[in-house]
Amino acid sequence: MTTQQMSIRSAYFKKILRPGRFLKYNLVILIGLSLVSFLWMYPFLWSVFTAFKTDGAIWNAGATLLPDEWVWSNIPDAWEKANFSTYFFNTVLYSVSATTIVLITTAMCGYVLARYRFFGRNIIYGVVLATLFVPIATVIIPQFQLVKTLGLLNTRMGVILALSGGGGLYVLLFTSFFSTIPEEIYDAAKIDGAGFVQQFRISLPLAKPIIATVVIFQFMQTWNEFNVPLVFTFGSPELRNLAVGMYAFQGEFAMDWPGFAAGTVISIIPVLLVFFFFQGYFVRGLQGAVKQ
Amino acid sequence: MSQASLNADETHSRWAIWRARQREKRIQSIPYNQRVSGGTRFWVIAFLAPFLLLYISFTLWPLLATIIYSLFEWDGSRPLTEFVGLENYRSLIQNEIFWSSFRNTLVFAVLNTMIKLPLALFIAILLTQRWVWLKRIFRTVFFAPLVVPVAMAGLIFNFLLDPAFGAVNDALTTFGIVDRPITFLGARYAMISIVLISVWQILGQYMIYWMAALQNVPEELYEAAEIDGANEWQKLIYVTLPVIRPIAIIILFLSFVNALKVFGLVVAINAPSAATRVVSSFIYNQALSEPPFRYGFASAAAVLFGVTVLIAVSVQGYFVRKARD
Repeated sequence: MTTQQMSIRSAYFKKILRPGRFLKYNLVILIGLSLVSFLWMYPFLWSVFTAFKTDGAIWNAGATLLPDEWVWSNIPDAWEKANFSTYFFNTVLYSVSATTIVLITTAMCGYVLARYRFFGRNIIYGVVLATLFVPIATVIIPQFQLVKTLGLLNTRMGVILALSGGGGLYVLLFTSFFSTIPEEIYDAAKIDGAGFVQQFRISLPLAKPIIATVVIFQFMQTWNEFNVPLVFTFGSPELRNLAVGMYAFQGEFAMDWPGFAAGTVISIIPVLLVFFFFQGYFVRGLQGAVKQ
Repeated sequence: MSQASLNADETHSRWAIWRARQREKRIQSIPYNQRVSGGTRFWVIAFLAPFLLLYISFTLWPLLATIIYSLFEWDGSRPLTEFVGLENYRSLIQNEIFWSSFRNTLVFAVLNTMIKLPLALFIAILLTQRWVWLKRIFRTVFFAPLVVPVAMAGLIFNFLLDPAFGAVNDALTTFGIVDRPITFLGARYAMISIVLISVWQILGQYMIYWMAALQNVPEELYEAAEIDGANEWQKLIYVTLPVIRPIAIIILFLSFVNALKVFGLVVAINAPSAATRVVSSFIYNQALSEPPFRYGFASAAAVLFGVTVLIAVSVQGYFVRKARD
């Protein structure tokens, strides 16, 4: 590295970091944000610490977090006795399947809508766009009828299909992204003999930010989904996901709060991991989308 | 040629020009459009089919079916034979509980949107400043509540807000902020409590939307404003907000429409139902919770609510667009 480059670099760092200038603001903001963050995270911290308390202790705890006496058995108990291992398995299955299905189908659809013109293209695009803003919260009834007609009520397949039926927003994200890819890339690929599917495959890695956005949104949504699993698994408790299982927990037992908190801890940690994993791509994906 | 036909001709050619322009616009909006033929046609259909199949089955058909069901007296299991026309709508309009659910839903959506959007924007602006420390950690903090299933969040807050042993009242009385514990989930404060819980839960998502929107403001504009001696507040009002306005409108609509779908939280919160019932829970109770199931009636409620809101949103959108042009 030359001296000139070095000096440019250090000037850059000085300009970016400007340590002196913002120290004062930073301290004020840091204190303020830390306080707000503590309050914001309080329900989490409460759940985590309650998972280690005795059943009696939580009623007298008030706002204090740390347990007087640590109980280690709540999490294993919730996992084994209260069926949380089943719920967990179901939730993972539903989320992973629905996310995969939605990702693949919306990417393929968005790709075709972006690159090809054919009869009905604008109709498909318009209808998908329009239904985004229809606030009918009750498509659940006909969905229920449809799944019943298909004989998939109280099956895992029924839940997965119903969870994979949305995704209009993702199609629009993919369409607007794929229409920014220069045609020259495809021309070069065609000269190398790439067919339709190969052309799609080379454009997929370019869409990483959108893929990350779809994965994180869809995964979070299906992981937390309440309505669909509640209605579609009425008859079979062993098909419940964590959200529904947790809610039913309230009715079946005389609300075992430490057990409930343990279940909460079990169910939120995997999603937090997904978020950490994809966090970097996340804002970039949305940014690309809204620029269109 | 008579005057009238001349005018008609002119109109016609104007219309033709307008149409050509529209077509041009449309073609330009899809830069790489290609004629589809032969083998490509097969693949185009094969790529569209899976999404369309799912979308038609689980999004479009249900929308259509809701309208059809709403014209029948139907319990969901017998064949669909008892056509009653608009009878369901008539009894719906006279149903007190429906209207109070309707009101509650609107109140919820408006309050929720009004609180969460400015707050999320403020946090997004703060956490995209280059000089702020530990941004990633604070972003994660605000994002974290999103990963708690709504029903669970509801149960947790049932406990935290309890007047007898809840943490919030304990803290408030200990610090002497209030004398007596507040019944947050009683008739009086239940709605505002639910709005705030929902804000707590969803804020991270809107923080991320705003952050994405803010990335579109060119850095040079801020530098220029700084040279002109603008302070942070002036930069926000005169630079940031005008640039992000088109995206802000989309975020506003998405936020409002999503808030109208509130359901899980209301079911999980232990509050008097009169204060917190919403349209989704009304429909759920009518159609699915206990016999006699009234699918037709519940569908009519869904349609009536959906159409009303759609009209309100369109009118609002029309005026927003008019104000902008």
